[in-house]
Amino acid sequence: MTMFREFFTFELKFRFKSLSTYVYFAVWFAFSFLDIAAEGFGPIGSSNGKVLLNGPYANIYNDIGISFFGIIVIAAIFGTSILRDFQRDTVQILFTKPISKVAYLGGRWAGSFVATVFAFSGLLFGEFFGTLAPWADHARIAPNHLSWYLQPFFSIVVFQIFFLGSLFFLVAALSRKIFIVYLQGAAIFMLYLTGIAIFSARRSLEHFWSGILDPIGFLYHDAITRYWTVVERNTLLYSWSLGSANGVFLYNRLLWGSVGLLSLIALWRLFPMSVEALTARSSGKRAALAREQDLAEVAPRRSLVAAKLPAAHKVFGFATTLRQLASLTRLRISNIVHEVPFWGLLILMAGIAINNGHYAGRVGDQNVWPVTYLMLQSVEGGAILFLYIVAALYAAELIWRERDTHFAGIHDALPIAETTDWFSKLFALCFVELILLTVTGVCGILMQTIAGYYNYEFAQYAKELYLVTFPEVLTFALLALFIQTVVSNKFIGHGIVIGVFVMVPILFSFGWENTLYLFGNTPPYTYSDMNGYGHFVPALFWSIAYWLSIACLLGTISIALARRGADDAWPARFRLAAQRAPRLIPAAAIFFLAAVGSGAWYFYNSHVLNQYLTAQDRRDISATYERDFKKYEHLAQPKIIAVDANIDIFPERRSFSGSGNFVLQNKTAQPISQIHITNSQQSVSNVRFDRPFHAVSTSARALYTIYHLDTPLAPGDKLDLTFNVGYTSRGFKDGNERPELAYSGTFFDVDYFPTIGYDISVELDDPRRRREERLPEQELLPRRGDPAGSVTNLLSAQSDWIGYRTTVSTSDDQIALSPGYLTRDWHANGRHYFSYDMGNVKTLDFFAYVSARYDVKREMYAGAANPISIEVYHTSTHLYDVDDMISASKAGLAYYEKNFSPFQFRQYRILEFPRYRSFAQSFPNTVPFSEGIGFIGRVEKPNDIDFAYFVTAHELGHQWWGHQLVGGRVEGSNMMAETLAEYSALMVMQQKYGRDNMHRFLKHELDRYLRGRAGETRRERPLVLVQNEPYVWYQKGGQVMYTLADYIGEDKVNLALHNFLMEYRYANANDSRSGPYPDTRQFVEALRAQTPAELQYYISDAFENIVLYDNKAVSATVTPTPDHKYKVTLSVQARKMRSDGSGNESPMPLHDLIDIGVFSGKKDEEKPLSLKKVWLTQPAQTFEIIVDQAPTRAGIDPYNKLIDRDSDDNMVDVTKR
Amino acid sequence: MALTITGLSKTYPNGVKALKNLSLTIGNLMFGLLGPNGAGKSSLMRTVATLQDPDSGSIDLDGLNVLTQKDEVRKILGYLPQEFGVYPKLSSYDMLQHLAVMKGVTNKTERKQMVEAILNQTNLWNERKKALSTFSGGMKQRFGIAQALLANPKLIIVDEPTAGLDPAERNRFLNLLSAIGSNMTVILSTHIVDDVRELCPRMAIISNGELLLEGAPAEALESLRGKIWSKVVAADDELRALETAFNVISTHLIGGLHEVRVYAESSPGDGFRPADSGLEDVYFLSLARQAQN
Repeated sequence: MTMFREFFTFELKFRFKSLSTYVYFAVWFAFSFLDIAAEGFGPIGSSNGKVLLNGPYANIYNDIGISFFGIIVIAAIFGTSILRDFQRDTVQILFTKPISKVAYLGGRWAGSFVATVFAFSGLLFGEFFGTLAPWADHARIAPNHLSWYLQPFFSIVVFQIFFLGSLFFLVAALSRKIFIVYLQGAAIFMLYLTGIAIFSARRSLEHFWSGILDPIGFLYHDAITRYWTVVERNTLLYSWSLGSANGVFLYNRLLWGSVGLLSLIALWRLFPMSVEALTARSSGKRAALAREQDLAEVAPRRSLVAAKLPAAHKVFGFATTLRQLASLTRLRISNIVHEVPFWGLLILMAGIAINNGHYAGRVGDQNVWPVTYLMLQSVEGGAILFLYIVAALYAAELIWRERDTHFAGIHDALPIAETTDWFSKLFALCFVELILLTVTGVCGILMQTIAGYYNYEFAQYAKELYLVTFPEVLTFALLALFIQTVVSNKFIGHGIVIGVFVMVPILFSFGWENTLYLFGNTPPYTYSDMNGYGHFVPALFWSIAYWLSIACLLGTISIALARRGADDAWPARFRLAAQRAPRLIPAAAIFFLAAVGSGAWYFYNSHVLNQYLTAQDRRDISATYERDFKKYEHLAQPKIIAVDANIDIFPERRSFSGSGNFVLQNKTAQPISQIHITNSQQSVSNVRFDRPFHAVSTSARALYTIYHLDTPLAPGDKLDLTFNVGYTSRGFKDGNERPELAYSGTFFDVDYFPTIGYDISVELDDPRRRREERLPEQELLPRRGDPAGSVTNLLSAQSDWIGYRTTVSTSDDQIALSPGYLTRDWHANGRHYFSYDMGNVKTLDFFAYVSARYDVKREMYAGAANPISIEVYHTSTHLYDVDDMISASKAGLAYYEKNFSPFQFRQYRILEFPRYRSFAQSFPNTVPFSEGIGFIGRVEKPNDIDFAYFVTAHELGHQWWGHQLVGGRVEGSNMMAETLAEYSALMVMQQKYGRDNMHRFLKHELDRYLRGRAGETRRERPLVLVQNEPYVWYQKGGQVMYTLADYIGEDKVNLALHNFLMEYRYANANDSRSGPYPDTRQFVEALRAQTPAELQYYISDAFENIVLYDNKAVSATVTPTPDHKYKVTLSVQARKMRSDGSGNESPMPLHDLIDIGVFSGKKDEEKPLSLKKVWLTQPAQTFEIIVDQAPTRAGIDPYNKLIDRDSDDNMVDVTKR
Repeated sequence: MALTITGLSKTYPNGVKALKNLSLTIGNLMFGLLGPNGAGKSSLMRTVATLQDPDSGSIDLDGLNVLTQKDEVRKILGYLPQEFGVYPKLSSYDMLQHLAVMKGVTNKTERKQMVEAILNQTNLWNERKKALSTFSGGMKQRFGIAQALLANPKLIIVDEPTAGLDPAERNRFLNLLSAIGSNMTVILSTHIVDDVRELCPRMAIISNGELLLEGAPAEALESLRGKIWSKVVAADDELRALETAFNVISTHLIGGLHEVRVYAESSPGDGFRPADSGLEDVYFLSLARQAQN
């Protein structure tokens, strides 16, 4: 025991004398301190605005995050503790003494364990002190609970230190190789990362085994807390009970705890306690050595007389310098590539690149062709970290190599110039990086080939890898070389290099966004198949030139300060630098001028030609606007009733200009003498009216201008408003380029036109940002029946319905589009002109202009009232989805015209726009559709969900739900557009895929709803009172409408919708006084009218409340019946809860109709044998069901029609009794 | 070739005075530098090898200012530091090829001949393809010698070259050095007195950064002739008594007995008998005299 204490205290003393222990402590301290004190630093701080920063969920998440990064720390402490004896050869002394295995291994292990726990405890202290920081967001800091700190710390962090530490300790003790010890932590880290990447790319909803097998925690965390609401996140800790999340956490801890115990047992059994066994070389090596010695003995005696050495001519000069450079570079490359770590990194990088590349064609919820930008994004995304690691690692190795190997004495006295030596290091580093980049590219091409995509765009690979990424990595490598030159120790250098690397994004998130002072930063860019690198090139080029010049300047200084000789002190190095300076100054001057020149040019473009605004500045502008002008929100203003505009788009200059004319009508009861105009995009000028007026005031940036009409506009009277509109791009910006303007793919909308009155969409909606700006909580949409809200159009507050026509021109090779029917198409002045007119059809005041180089595919569809032209405008290479979009349009038109009402237009057009923005949006008969979410879709298996098909159907649905029926600007109205479009699209999908295949799709929808409500930053609302909760109006809305159709019949739901539409469509279209728009009260009424009395409860639950089920199949057994059938005995549980907006749940009595089903086929491929709706009233019930075939699965609500937080336990395997 | 060192002083940042106003002239010959550990030998050699600058003083090599014209000096220099390491995984052949390029041997044929000859001379030919990191201490030392002799240097500085060599290899190295040592300046620092005796026409003894003696080994020996006396004693007490009474230069163990050597103009007394003076006596006597001052 004393011996154990000896080793234990020795280990502890060693650790507590070592600086690294305190560094680990400090790092964890800093991380958790900043997680709380600096909002936007940690994942919790920057995500949900209502989750407590020091609450249980935050602590759990931070603990898991630190456990993940801590793998390397655990490996470092545990691994080295045993290795130390072998490195310093103290084994010889130790193991000749009578020490016991338990004392030696146990002492070392326990000492390491305690030291590691101490290091990790930094996170507890950091967090605690974080809560005391006066500048922290105290709205999100609760009084500190000890259990919130300790329970996660012990059950997650300390537990992990135990099992991973034991594992690392075992590996170190048995291998006794420094290489393995240092790499095992990194290897587990990378393997885990890869595993997570694979798992998430599979988009699996499986959460049981993945949670149990996960040693670190992200997956079991997801399994357990995936659907936790805000209230739960702020009160619940992980439960060790089997009942919580199917016991994932308990099983996980049991599994990994046993791994730890087994490691310790294996260690005790396998570790040999003798010097001989521990230091023995392999028998092969011993034999070789013996052979050699035998050979040496028989070798002939050599003469002792020395022969003269041959003479060699020595030549020095430029040619020799080049040869020296080549030879040195070769030597340095050979040093790197002859070592295992390089190959380890290369293989790991290629592995991750290949893995990522395999999933390049999975974007969000859809499968797409792995086009080159996606493939590059995947493989480069996997490789980029390695490129930087290699730059940092080998910069240090190269700078310190001669000193580390003690070759400096010889090397430094060689007749080579410092410049030659330094360039050999740089070239070696470049060579290695280029190898890695090339391997990355090859992985991408390989994975494209495997995926069956053969349109290789080698030029794009070369541009991205060699012209964009390589200079960025080179810049960083030069910095690392410089830092390693300056610092006195390699590891300090690593610390600083990593610090710079990490600080850039951190500073950025704190509002220090300027490319000109964030080292090596380049503004973001997006490749688009429509545009290539497009307008991002100049900013990218100049920022790279700027930072590369600075890095080269640092490189020149590095040469001057390069260590040479024995004297490392600064006076000596400065003396040497002074001697070297004369030859370096010209180069330094050139780089300095290049840096100043490119920096100045960048500054001129981003700060002089363009106004430089940080995210904070932009928020300030919004906040000021709200503070100053919110008071005018309800000011009576005339409404726009007609729009006519002439727009000239200049795609090559990313600009447009033109003039517009609005006809305004006073649809209120009072005369109006002031017209307020919001100009949110700084694109409106020269506003004038058809009668005498003057400007009363204009705010900064001409954001809000008040005009006074000399004669007020009488009720019912009309007024002509004429204005100039346009935007001119000048030079380039430091990021934040307007995505609306592109060389090919211009797409801007009504936002660039004057807005009449106060524009609510300018307001900040993130509650945290609002707190920061000291704005009150954002005002909700008014209640249904609100006098002002009811008479305001939800989608365009400044208008009811408009007549629309426009003329638009663009460059000669492009097609320009806007809603309306093409009335004229002509070329003039080297430009291409188009006139569009909507004719008599009234539309929302919601229009857009689009211009690009397009290929067009048209098909005619025989509509109910008239032929409908379906047109897809796409870039020439994106043919994959075109036919799909057309067939979705046809299917949608067929379903909607049959069930809802005739299509109001004669055309339906889909227009591709660049992926700078990722959405599709329904304008009247015109749908701009981002290349980021469509056009490259790929359907491999017949029942794969075709996303482009779905979106096309959804946007087409909006031509009814939005463009015919629009609600008032009150709570709930949004669902009448989005939920009904979603429902419409689901029905079209069901036609295509059949009922049985809808299940998988709906399960993903359910998951997205449940995750959406878990991430709610304000409060969840019932569907018909929805404010701004997309997960409610899309996923929940679609789900409950689909279920309602299942419960009362699709025809009944459609009839309700038809009746509702017919009664309320085009509200206010022809009135000279704005009257009320429909709201969800009328909508619910329409649904209730078609719903039988016994199912009315479902309307209340699903539409008017937040109701969750907890349905579960407990057991299912089968017994054969005498008549060769099968009797299934199925036990189920059912519970129903009502939730409030924050997630507080209260039980509800059960009297519900729920599916009970028996199936054949294996899990996830079930075929129904019996599916019946049954009234359930008891929390636990047992059913007996007779089926004809052998059943394999049975359960309650098997198709997840009801909202159930645990959708996986609804079915069980049927077992034989 | 002549190397003139004038008034060299060097104090390290930790306060150690490595060189104290040291002046020395070394002609076109093999010059031995004797001194105990920490005497300043290595500091002196590093300074001459352009690896560090003195605080004051100058070094002139046939009109070249060693302190400022470092590049010129390096072109004719062959240097073997006292301790050195090697790049792992590289063979001695490849490394010597590389170093030959560094030293300006650009002609491929000449370089090959040179490298092969030197590998033969240092008895590394059989190991030429082996990774340097697998070399034993002696083999590594021979590689160090090989690289120092590469490319016909005019100034060779070898710091403890025979350390770690077995007797046969040491002989071979000394032979090699003396064979090439004509018409060049060789500075050989060592604490093995025999190296100097066997090889160097001139020598110097330095200690604590100061020059104690400079001259030909033969002259130094001559000056001690008849002044070294030895006595064999058995007990430690006796030895201690002798140490206090006489100017003891050194003691050796011979079969478990102490042989005490004493410097005296005439026989120091009972039991002492005259002994042949060796270079070692010169060395120890110089050190002892410095200690007394």
